[in-house]
Amino acid sequence: MRSVVQARNEGLASFRTRLFTAIMVIVATLTALGFYLAQRKVTADAERNLQANFQAEISSLHKLEELRHAALAERCNVLAAKPRIHAAMEDNAIDLLYPSAKDELRDLMEGDEPPAEQSLHARFYRFLDSTGEVIKPPNPYDVGELDTETETQLALSRLPDTQQIGYIRENTKTGGETIDEVIAVPIFSTDTGDVISALVIGFKPLELEEKNAEVGMRSGVWANGQLHLPSLPKSAQASLNEKIASAVANSDREQDKFRVNVDGAPQLLFYKRLNPESVFPAAYEICVYPLAYSITQLHRLRWQIGGAGALLLLGGFVASHVVALRFSAPVKKLALDSEENRAQRKRAEAALASTTQELERSTRYSADASHQLKSPVTVLRVGLEILLTREGFKPEVYEELSALLHQTHRLTGVIDDLLLLSRMDAGHLQIASTSVNLSQLVDEWLDDLSALPDSPDVKIEKEFAAGLFVAGEKQYTSLVVQNLLENARKYNRPGGLIRVSARSNGKNVVLSIGNTGCTIPVGENIFERFHHRSTPSAASGHGIGLNLARELARLHGGDLCLVRSENDWTEFEVRFPAADGVNAVA
Amino acid sequence: MRFRGLFREMAIFPLLPVTLFAGVTVEGRVELPKSHSAPVQAKRYEIVTKGGVLSTQPPLAVVYLDGSFPQPASIPTKQVAQKDLTFVPALLPVRAGTRVEFPNLDDTYHNIFSYSPAKRFDLGRYRPEERPIPIQVFDKPGLVTLRCDIHEHMRGLILVLNTPYFVMTDTDGHFRLSGLPAGHYTLKAWIDSRTTREKPAELKNGQTLHVDFP
Repeated sequence: MRSVVQARNEGLASFRTRLFTAIMVIVATLTALGFYLAQRKVTADAERNLQANFQAEISSLHKLEELRHAALAERCNVLAAKPRIHAAMEDNAIDLLYPSAKDELRDLMEGDEPPAEQSLHARFYRFLDSTGEVIKPPNPYDVGELDTETETQLALSRLPDTQQIGYIRENTKTGGETIDEVIAVPIFSTDTGDVISALVIGFKPLELEEKNAEVGMRSGVWANGQLHLPSLPKSAQASLNEKIASAVANSDREQDKFRVNVDGAPQLLFYKRLNPESVFPAAYEICVYPLAYSITQLHRLRWQIGGAGALLLLGGFVASHVVALRFSAPVKKLALDSEENRAQRKRAEAALASTTQELERSTRYSADASHQLKSPVTVLRVGLEILLTREGFKPEVYEELSALLHQTHRLTGVIDDLLLLSRMDAGHLQIASTSVNLSQLVDEWLDDLSALPDSPDVKIEKEFAAGLFVAGEKQYTSLVVQNLLENARKYNRPGGLIRVSARSNGKNVVLSIGNTGCTIPVGENIFERFHHRSTPSAASGHGIGLNLARELARLHGGDLCLVRSENDWTEFEVRFPAADGVNAVA
Repeated sequence: MRFRGLFREMAIFPLLPVTLFAGVTVEGRVELPKSHSAPVQAKRYEIVTKGGVLSTQPPLAVVYLDGSFPQPASIPTKQVAQKDLTFVPALLPVRAGTRVEFPNLDDTYHNIFSYSPAKRFDLGRYRPEERPIPIQVFDKPGLVTLRCDIHEHMRGLILVLNTPYFVMTDTDGHFRLSGLPAGHYTLKAWIDSRTTREKPAELKNGQTLHVDFP
């Protein structure tokens, strides 16, 4: 029993484990999926935001450039139309070129440093001659001083016929380096329409980082194969420079992004060509965004999702526990019930087996006993009959012999009954059902009863119609009736009454046999085999009569029961199935 | 009308000494470049630039005798007027040292200036009624391109020569230069800002020399 309980507990535990594992797997999968999606979303969002940021920067740059270009185009058209400029060019008065342009470009160069938004404030300007070389200004102070190295970068291989944007590196007076945006505007001859010169105007490029310091963005320009990103240390610039150079060299795209590590911190680097299709060397706007913020965000999100997952898991654990318990309660009950059932069945089986054995044994015993007894009884009876036929004995002896003979007859009756019972117990007895006239049968037996020598002084009442037919085998039906009538006589009192009545209800014929005399105590099973009445009585029986009668009645499809036993009246009722269509309903 | 007269006077004026001293006469024809532009209405010459080369339109040439001649005590003042947003005349040959007036005959501002090496000047803005009339002395031989700072299309040429003996051809290229001193000279024909042809000329008194510039 202990092992069963243990097994049951183990089963429950394993059920719970499986349930929990399933929930855990689901939660873990959901968490992992959540992680993955969230990570992807955060990364994508971050990149998109930064990209948008970058594009906004770029577009503000481009807006400014467009503004500059529009303003410059207009200005240069006016300038190119100026007779003095043409005069200077055409009349070989180069020395007068810059002075002539000075008035025209005065507002570009002069005045205080204007705010960044309206950056039409030029740092310097130079004219290019027809070969694209820089025309040296007579007084560099007026046109923005440049060192020779910087100035050479302004030269072009040919004069452009459209505006060109370029980015040049300028060595500052303090020994540093800065990037200038230059716009080259062609000057067309009013006479011939040819490009006779170009005006190159230098501006300070927009400083993007001031506006976006809070996201840690750093911007710079990559021009002439050199990165100018002053907010980064030199070493970082150098390593970035190589990466940008290889990225630019290996890609046809004018803009792209890639991840870099700057001083061990992951950054997203965007680049975009600032001067597409320019005759100036390619220059790119570079923006480096630290991913620390998005990584922190990702980290936080990870914790959140992890926490949620853990909570889910905890919830899952509790739920699995509860569910397991709830599921296990009926399962437990079922298990218990089934165990009990099994035990009961086993007990029943054992009982059945022992009963069967007992039955078999008793059947066998009855049969054996009957056979073993029948022969000597026959011998005894025959002997007694022979003795009776002899003469010469005293009359008392004949009386005695006759009594003995009667006893042998009784014995034979008992043995027959036992044989019959044993056959019934073994299931060998079968009723060959015919139509039996119960009324007649009862009448005959009542006649016999009254004819018996030791009949007490009892009155017999009959209340039944003639011609009540039952379905049965006459021999056994008769046995039932005989048994009941004999009992009624046997257990009667002197001067008593036997009432026999019978009625038919169509399906059955019910025969009631009642007698006066001492009653049967309540609770006494008189139908038990070999039963003997507990109450002292003069009457004697072998204790199988009622049992046999009931078995036979049941074998017929009817029954025998005690209807009443009180107040000096004991009444049995036997029911037989009515013979088909014979009896009228009483 | 007055300027037509002025122009004629200007053309005839150099011939006066020749008739007085009955010197050498040179005549001939300069092969002028073909004119591609539409015929010019009225007899006005404009200066056109083609490939950086300035010339009159229709083409004209100035033929002059190159050499060293004594400077006269006084040289008559010439005029280049601004009329209808053009220079009149468009091409003015003068002897070095000549004073040229630039009267503004339009009812708008003009700002005549020159960046030419032969003469750089800038008259500044001036109105027609402003007096005195702006004046410049051209004392260095060479070609002076006149421009107006306000009207960028305006071009004028003053050819400053170191000789008193010069003449403008007609539109066919014919010229006649008389009253020239005898001697060994070079005869030059200015055709445009890049082209000046020259021929040696052996001038003898009373002789009429025929020189063609092909």
